[in-house]
Amino acid sequence: MRICVVILGLCLAALRPPIDAHAQNSSSGGWMIPDWNKPPITDANRKPAPRRSLAGTWGPAEGAGAGTQASGVQLKPNNGKPENQLPYTPYGVELYRSHKALEGVDAVLPTQDNDPRNRCELLGVPRYNHYNIRLTQIFQDEYKIVILYQYDNRWRLIWTDGRELPKLVEGGVQIGSDLREQRFFGYSVGSWVDDYTLEVQTVGTMPEDRVWLDSTGRPISDRVRVTETFRRVDYDTLVWSETLEDPKVYSKPWETMRLPMRLHDPRTDVMEYYCSPVEQDNYNKRFGNAASGKEAR
Amino acid sequence: MRSKAVVLLIVAAALLIQRPVFAHHSSAAFDSGKKVILKGTVTEWVYSNPHCMLILEVKGPDGQMVQWTTETQPPASIFPIGYRRDSFKAGDQVTITVEPFKDGRPYGRIVGAVLADGKILGPATSPPSNAGAPPQP
Repeated sequence: MRICVVILGLCLAALRPPIDAHAQNSSSGGWMIPDWNKPPITDANRKPAPRRSLAGTWGPAEGAGAGTQASGVQLKPNNGKPENQLPYTPYGVELYRSHKALEGVDAVLPTQDNDPRNRCELLGVPRYNHYNIRLTQIFQDEYKIVILYQYDNRWRLIWTDGRELPKLVEGGVQIGSDLREQRFFGYSVGSWVDDYTLEVQTVGTMPEDRVWLDSTGRPISDRVRVTETFRRVDYDTLVWSETLEDPKVYSKPWETMRLPMRLHDPRTDVMEYYCSPVEQDNYNKRFGNAASGKEAR
Repeated sequence: MRSKAVVLLIVAAALLIQRPVFAHHSSAAFDSGKKVILKGTVTEWVYSNPHCMLILEVKGPDGQMVQWTTETQPPASIFPIGYRRDSFKAGDQVTITVEPFKDGRPYGRIVGAVLADGKILGPATSPPSNAGAPPQP
């Protein structure tokens, strides 16, 4: 009988809805827990978008998992289906084959993987857009927009003061007469296409031996031009899109992401989600290596 | 009684739908879809990144104690669904459901838990989902 009760309890655990965030938040002393169970936006509760503002705490509209992109970039999961094949150049194919990923159709065991993520390396732009997008905070002033990614507490700057996008050159970017270094987050400038759509261009990112595009080992090179659009559909909804133009690796531009984001309470406490070599090593010793078959049997 | 338990076990397995996970290892080691219910004593709860780990002692069919090592998603993913730093304490008697390794070694990932105080928690293998329909762009 007791086993029946336990089994029934576990059935209920599987069926129960997420904990009511409001109930939790009422006793959280102001440290608000993310609410991933918001009611949908309808004509009845839709509010107009503010003009030229992206500021807020945003999370994937379909829930925290919608931004994970474990199987590859959102619009092109790496699942072997013909419609998700990418327009690789021969060099792109070579790069892809040299990457040993833990996710996707060509996944390997951890004993063979070479994902920079697993050494806690910076992921760079655009990969931060494709790695566990969760609560994403956006701040802005008259000169710039700042995006705070939850994963690894990383941030990036997008200049909106009218400055020009640097010229992409071999080994970095040209600004005036200066050759400037490659950066994990590149050099980003944004301009308002209309009062509700910001278009952002990024160049000058790190070379292909330092960064990947996604967790399935798709490559990206330092010749990439990343174009993002942030479209404020209504007060509570922002659509974050991205297109890549990387002639070194891909024979034509292609769209990676069109992710609806939902506004969260600005008081929401964003938990740390980080890569720690110490904690990762402990995890590998106690679980990860066993899962990989690396552990002595 | 036994047949009743078997039926409930089948129902539980059907209800615990496989969800996508994101791990620092491939999923090849896991017997996807299989569920094992473990009733045992907690020895350690490691609340860390990239995954949390629950270690517990479980009495095997032969009466011998077996140490199981189980994992969840990281704190930032499982906190909103109720898993806390103090959800498990050494000595707690708990019942958890895991998706085990294929090769029979005592490892698995947690898909449900009944804590020592009777509190029931759901799958710790994926971030929380939004029950409502997403706004359309």
